[in-house]
Amino acid sequence: MYILENIKLKNTLLGLSLATVALVTSGCNNSDVKMSDATNAQTEKRAVDGAVKYEIKDGKYEAYHVNTQKAENFGYGRTPTEREIKAWDIDVTPFGKDAPMYDMKHGEVVLDEDGQPKKAEGSVELGNELYDAQCAMCHGDFGAGGKGYPTLSGGTLASLKNQLFNPADANPGMEPPKRTIGSYWPYASTLFWYIQDAMPFPHPKSLSNSETYALTAYLLYENGIQIDGEELDEEYVLDREKFLKIKMPNEDGFYPVVDTPEDPKQGVRNMTEFLSNPENYGKGTRCMKDCIKEDVSKLVMRITDGGLSDFNPPASTERSMPVVEATGPVHPGQAAYEASCSACHANEAIGAPVVGDKEAWASVMAKGIDGVYHNGINGINAMPPKGGNMDLSDDEVKVIIDYMIEASK
Amino acid sequence: MNKIKDIFKKSLTTKDTSTLEESSRRDFFKNTAALSVSAIAASSVLGPVKALADDEAIIGEAEWGVKLGDMVTKNLYGIPSPYEHNNIRRTTDLLSSGDMYASISMCPIHESEGIITPNGLFFCRDHGGTAHVDPNQFRLMIHGKVKKEIVLTLDELKRYPSETRTYFIECPANGSPEWRAPQFNNLQFMKGMMSCASWTGVMLKTILDDIGLEDDAVWMMAEGSDNAGNPRTIPVEKALDDIMVVWGQNGEALRPEQGYPVRLVVPGWEGNLNTKWLKRLEFSDKPWHSKEETSKYTMLQKSGKAIQYFWPNEVNSVITKPCPEKPWTDLKKGDLVEIEGIAWSGHGTIKHVDISFDGGDNWVEANLKGLVLPKAWTRFSYMYRWDGKPILLSSRATDDINNTQPTIDQETSVVGVESVYHRNGLVTWEVNAKGEVNNVHIRKHKA
Repeated sequence: MYILENIKLKNTLLGLSLATVALVTSGCNNSDVKMSDATNAQTEKRAVDGAVKYEIKDGKYEAYHVNTQKAENFGYGRTPTEREIKAWDIDVTPFGKDAPMYDMKHGEVVLDEDGQPKKAEGSVELGNELYDAQCAMCHGDFGAGGKGYPTLSGGTLASLKNQLFNPADANPGMEPPKRTIGSYWPYASTLFWYIQDAMPFPHPKSLSNSETYALTAYLLYENGIQIDGEELDEEYVLDREKFLKIKMPNEDGFYPVVDTPEDPKQGVRNMTEFLSNPENYGKGTRCMKDCIKEDVSKLVMRITDGGLSDFNPPASTERSMPVVEATGPVHPGQAAYEASCSACHANEAIGAPVVGDKEAWASVMAKGIDGVYHNGINGINAMPPKGGNMDLSDDEVKVIIDYMIEASK
Repeated sequence: MNKIKDIFKKSLTTKDTSTLEESSRRDFFKNTAALSVSAIAASSVLGPVKALADDEAIIGEAEWGVKLGDMVTKNLYGIPSPYEHNNIRRTTDLLSSGDMYASISMCPIHESEGIITPNGLFFCRDHGGTAHVDPNQFRLMIHGKVKKEIVLTLDELKRYPSETRTYFIECPANGSPEWRAPQFNNLQFMKGMMSCASWTGVMLKTILDDIGLEDDAVWMMAEGSDNAGNPRTIPVEKALDDIMVVWGQNGEALRPEQGYPVRLVVPGWEGNLNTKWLKRLEFSDKPWHSKEETSKYTMLQKSGKAIQYFWPNEVNSVITKPCPEKPWTDLKKGDLVEIEGIAWSGHGTIKHVDISFDGGDNWVEANLKGLVLPKAWTRFSYMYRWDGKPILLSSRATDDINNTQPTIDQETSVVGVESVYHRNGLVTWEVNAKGEVNNVHIRKHKA
């Protein structure tokens, strides 16, 4: 059967016997191929991830030619202003950097009615209101998830040891680990920074620092996190001072250690050491013959029920002229719909009537167009007024609704 | 033959093709295949006899051969043949956070040729939709623990000396739905969270050497200007090694889906680190611990602890011909066929690729083919005469730090099945007697 490959195998083995190669018995058998590459790799300079460090030699970087003329003092660009840096440098790290004391906007401190810097702070109660209006439609009530977007609460530290359906286990576990803010996230800084920078999903960077403190406080409250020994309640107000005292339950749940303030470079060295050793993450062996000491047919695990095939568009390798669909004029509400409403209304999991679903929209329309307009403008169920897009006028909302109805006929 | 001719003519008529039935087309291709087979048999045994049917594709006049084609002004930016309309990126709801903004489109690697992915087919992972950046308002700020903080416009950035290098980018979640069992009978969805391109830009080291780093600048944070920003921490050592600030992709400007006008290319490392729509690089003596390196892109282990900052995509390979989408159903017993595939390692350069026909029990070494570059797709090839019997076909790559792709059991025995990211266990195709190709796992499990 393997005419060609046998020839190839012979050549390989011949090559091996000619080279001075150490044949290694790593629990496989002594036909394992252990190339001399290993020794070469050890003597070569290592990159930060343990890989071979490639250098420019004789005007070449591996296969690439390189211009090695000396070039320095380009002097391109200009120095950023202090305000420019403040406007963009809004990251918040676990080490206290940049957690705002005052509300900031466009690189400047926001002033209150008295012309004084406005203190950045927010209560659990305000966070709850903001959450219900702008977050619950995706992340579920109380952060319970279940709509295709991440679950934010309800995890446990103990569950992190769970392995769901590991086929190698004698009795595969039935419970998954529950990775949520309270059970998994090592730092509250990440929560504040991410909300400030990238949430709410359709309108990122729209929250003030105070509102972000409020949402952070609310989510910590939902996760049962204490701050400085204090349990959070509706009246709890979070500010920079309290924020810096937060310690998350899973802070020590990650390795290798990269935070090494006494010697910043030690953290990088820890990573290099870890990544250099494949035994930390799955080491293969270059066994060539009789590698599996059991009946291979018993190890074959096949796809059940045809597998997942929910592909858009459906899979096909056919080479044929495509069917051209007629395209009509673009509806004036379409662009605004896509920008402001589709995050929920194009997603079955959210529970909002999906645009294009004839039945769902027929039942929506049963209450009459005025009722649909009213609900769109004032909100219904999990949907806040105007879907949270308060910049839209009532008439703009109506045009969008017209489009959604039109597209669902 | 008239029927075939009619179908053929019809398929060439650009209008009204929608009425063409799929089954007729299949019959047509089956018939022509049968003709060519009988032609070979006849010529060797019987000599040139009249028994052969004539191929209409040869004796008929093809429509495109007897009329003018398009004027050269028709597509000032060229587009693929309409016949290739199925060679496209695809999505699945399973791999989207409930919508198609924070989602991923998979590269059709089963149709991929060589080691370069065309720009329109490069896989795309967005966290809040594809941003459309005005290049005139592009600014790159480099600040923190540097000797001279700077802001660059696009024109200023492009004045630095450029280099062009070929690197793959892979989402470390490539293959993540299959930690527990095979799920997709489809290569595009099994391994399509990756692509490979020729990138043009300036080595970040060139800029950093020019502005100077503080002695305790150990970590760098890269951030995009899109709505998600996607900030990530990268060690300065990598920035001074091979990271590029890129504006060109396969000879033209980056596509918006790839971060137009400027992205970071962090060769071999997690796709998520290759910040698109780049706007800011900050330097510090401490890592940032962003959401994408705490909540996500960490690998939960059986101990309940998680690996963090796992940067490189490990050594990996997959056979692309055959694959579930490109089966051997047209082969006959005894046909000679090329087995071809892609190997890659974020840890360096591919050294060897081995192939097994019996599910990993015995292996032979394949040939590497074409350019073999660090942290780039590498093609391998093996000529094989198929005897028409079922086989279990696997590939296994080894890179130049001598890391070899693990079996599924070798990998999961160490990291369990909850890691989500960095799955590089062996891929196996079960080729049955009909030549159909199915995705299977070779692993210990309850029958």
